[in-house]
Amino acid sequence: MNRQGTIIYPEGEELQAQIEARHRKGLAWRLIFAGATMVGIITLVALLYNIINQTFGFAAVENRVDPAGLARDYETRTMLQGAVLSSEDDTRLAEAVAGDPAGVSFFGYSHYQANADQLRAVAVDELLPGEAGYALERPLFLYTAAEIAMGRPEVAAFIHYYLAHADAVLAETGYFAADEAAVAATRQAWLNTLGLDALPAVDAADYSGTISIVGSSTMQPLTRRIAEMFIDDGFRGAIRLQSNGSDAGFTQLCRPGGADISQASRAMTAAEVSECRDNRLQPRVLRVAHDALTVVTSSENRFIEAVSLEQLGALFTAAERWSDLDESWPSSAIQRYVPGPGSGTLDYFADTVLGEALADLPHDALVGILRTHISRGLGRRLEREQRFYENVLVFDTVESYEAACAVSGAPAGCTAPARSQENVYDLVVQWVVQPNVVQTWSFVDSLFRRSEIAATARAEYPNAELQFRTWLTGEFITRPQAAEPEVAGVRTAILGSLWVIAITIAFSFPIGVGAAIYLEEYARPNAINRFIQTNINNLAGVPSIIYGMLGLAIFVRLLVAMTSGAAFGATDAGTTANGRTILSAGLTLGLLILPIIIINAQEAIRAVPNSLRMASYGLGGTKWQTIWSHVLPNALPGILTGTILAMSRAIGETAPLVVIGASTFITADPQSPFSKFTTLPIQIYQWTSRPQAEFRNIAGAAIIVLLALLLSLNATAVILRNRFSRKLT
Amino acid sequence: MAEGSEVMSRQREAVTRSSDEVAPMLTRKPRVKESIIQGILFLCGAISILTTLGIVYELGKESWLFFGSPEVDLVEFFTTTRWQPQLLQFGIWPLVTATLLTSTIAMVVALPLGLATAIYLSEYASERARNTLKPILEVLAGIPTVVYGYFALTFMTPLLRAIFGEGTVQIFNTGSAGIVVGILIIPLVSSMSEDALHAVPNSLRQAALAVGATKFETALRVVVPAAFSGIAAAFVVAISRAVGETMIVAIAAGAGPAFTLNPFEAAETMTGHIVRISGGDLSYDSIDYNSIFAIGLLLFFMTLLLNIVSQRVVARFREVYE
Repeated sequence: MNRQGTIIYPEGEELQAQIEARHRKGLAWRLIFAGATMVGIITLVALLYNIINQTFGFAAVENRVDPAGLARDYETRTMLQGAVLSSEDDTRLAEAVAGDPAGVSFFGYSHYQANADQLRAVAVDELLPGEAGYALERPLFLYTAAEIAMGRPEVAAFIHYYLAHADAVLAETGYFAADEAAVAATRQAWLNTLGLDALPAVDAADYSGTISIVGSSTMQPLTRRIAEMFIDDGFRGAIRLQSNGSDAGFTQLCRPGGADISQASRAMTAAEVSECRDNRLQPRVLRVAHDALTVVTSSENRFIEAVSLEQLGALFTAAERWSDLDESWPSSAIQRYVPGPGSGTLDYFADTVLGEALADLPHDALVGILRTHISRGLGRRLEREQRFYENVLVFDTVESYEAACAVSGAPAGCTAPARSQENVYDLVVQWVVQPNVVQTWSFVDSLFRRSEIAATARAEYPNAELQFRTWLTGEFITRPQAAEPEVAGVRTAILGSLWVIAITIAFSFPIGVGAAIYLEEYARPNAINRFIQTNINNLAGVPSIIYGMLGLAIFVRLLVAMTSGAAFGATDAGTTANGRTILSAGLTLGLLILPIIIINAQEAIRAVPNSLRMASYGLGGTKWQTIWSHVLPNALPGILTGTILAMSRAIGETAPLVVIGASTFITADPQSPFSKFTTLPIQIYQWTSRPQAEFRNIAGAAIIVLLALLLSLNATAVILRNRFSRKLT
Repeated sequence: MAEGSEVMSRQREAVTRSSDEVAPMLTRKPRVKESIIQGILFLCGAISILTTLGIVYELGKESWLFFGSPEVDLVEFFTTTRWQPQLLQFGIWPLVTATLLTSTIAMVVALPLGLATAIYLSEYASERARNTLKPILEVLAGIPTVVYGYFALTFMTPLLRAIFGEGTVQIFNTGSAGIVVGILIIPLVSSMSEDALHAVPNSLRQAALAVGATKFETALRVVVPAAFSGIAAAFVVAISRAVGETMIVAIAAGAGPAFTLNPFEAAETMTGHIVRISGGDLSYDSIDYNSIFAIGLLLFFMTLLLNIVSQRVVARFREVYE
């Protein structure tokens, strides 16, 4: 009584307050519990956000070799190979094409004008040269060096004379006036070099010496005309005029003691400028005239009036007969007269008219590019991986190739079919173009800080191209692994994963279900069976890496004859797997998921009502008949669910496969269970471990592929399971 | 009549003949096919025992070779704190402390969050909320660990560095790895704990509510204690999982044994070390090869012990309700 009296029960408002406090406390905790539950969901969102953030976004890419240039070089070469005549001297071209009714050529308008009686200009996109908007108009240049102009008064005088008189003779020699602003700008720069205010008046008679002029034949008629005028005005020296194309012209100008002036139908490249500077010559440019590149035929040609720009490209490269371009034209072969490889005219034509993408070049062309750009050793290696042609070797000699193929464990190339055009293109990109991602930005940054990124990229990587990059592309999935993240793919890894998982399931599903049937239907509760059950439960808790070590010791090492395929007479081409094969991986993962399959199958079997068994026995069914025809069909949906779970686990497993020795770098598709392998998780692990950011990007893309693979396998399995369970009910 | 009796006798004859035949049919006959099938099924079950034997034998054999080699001393193995196989120094402690550190951090994350999630799902959430939340947690559990490793390195580590400063937190650190291991384990803890909470009979809850306890008091004072054995088992299994977790720590915790308890520094765990060493070019019968088996054996015993403890906990503290 006394004791009870000491407990004070709150009453009235106090009680109310206490109840409210308890409710408040309850509410607070409820929020805490709900918040804790949200952590998991937030994590999932963060995880997916992070992957997407890494997989998409801007990247600054620098190519070692310009792919457009490679394609253009190839097309130029094709054009030259298909030419009946190729010369840097436009006069020769003009004469030759004039005498050939099936011939076609292109060169500067001045050469056309000089031979207008024997030649006919072809309209391009319905416009003739000289008409406004003509597609093939281009500036012409006069180059010299500051040092020459200052040290040789006759050269400076000739140039001043040139600038003063060129305009007067443009029309008569077959040129068009250059853009005024450009002329004024280069002229001003020139005057600044010499420290002059205006062009000085020149009296040719004051000068003597030899002036040598080289370069493009496109400008030749104009220069010749000016030179004649200069001499007529009393120049006491000599002018040596040579037309050898823009390329050679620049080379001679930049050589110490070389030419004084170079005419050009294209601007100097950065490389040529720096070559000049290396020889202590500062090149100076002057704009003097405009040319219209003219497509010409003999005046005896009766059929061709006009071509489109696309037809023009085909006319000089792919087409063989006139009728290939237009059915109304005769079927005689096209006779091409092409400016020589050293001429600026050819470069200009290639830049303007031709423009096939590198990816669209034919197989032979791509192989040709490889041959000129990569070392023989590398070529041989690539050829042994896979040949370029079915019957012809490109890099290797027949003897050494056959010797390599004769031994056991021969390289994969001995048996694999020849490379496709896409495959060769990938090699060209990988080994020749060598795109290099210099920096990447995350997806969110790419969306919201676009201009900032563009500014950074321009400032830090002037040669790089900023592109929005989706690292997960169709090519990423279908390409094999590669050392460069830009051209790497996951095909080998996907195939490896599928092979391994197939073996895993083939091994563990029957054994796991068998063990479950034994434990549920046959096993009496004796010591052995209890031990088996405890043991299975314990195995389910063993870390996966321990299974990897077991696989390494048993499958890779002890059973090497079996897992490498040697025992079955299978010697996989080109592999030195030594038991580190798909089979070993599959069996290791099989052991790993066996307990999961057993435990799930046991539960499914246990859930089958006993009345079914009794009914079967009652009708005289044997134990196995009962199990096979009644227990298993009813347990199957549950068993399959467990197997799906186990399979998902196996697809994502990485550690055991690293331990048993998945290949770190492998580009050939797995061919058999005895092949070396890599899997998607292994690939992700390796890429994640690299310090470069681009590898993080492709690891993110590979993760999306892995999750998609998991999802689709699960979905397939769920559909299968549903079909089974529908049939049974 | 004569005709009829003949028929009768024939019938009688037929009956006696058939009963002669039926009797042996009714006795138990050895069925060869059935026995073979039973034998095969037993072998299937026995493969699990072979697996265990294989693990113990192989780990034991290689460890024996390791401890038997002149460079290694069992006492040093367990007492010194430098693990540098190149210098033939084999003190297991740096690897063990790193493992314990990541596991402890993981537990600090996973146990409260996992239990709170379980309580929310079991005691508070409506049927609809449960049906939405549980599959999401299952998705979280189904994501491969290598993806979590990627998450730790590319998300959690930058996050930690942003919070605590780049000078304090190294690029590879046990803290980031531990937190993500914890997140990985949340679904395990929550689903096992929820099963345990769910198994508590409703009558207990109703009794508590009837004497005026709030929902929170019912959950914390009645339901959780009643489900204690299951929750404890979940905790122990979670620890075992954290100790054995490999890819997250291999990617995010660091590559190089370091004897440190600072969660912001890099340190290599037992599993991380095994993966790194075996991922390189490993020649059989070298001391490196043998040493990873010794680590593996230790790891195996640690997790086995934890699993056995969890089974004992369930058996010991299980409350049986009618």
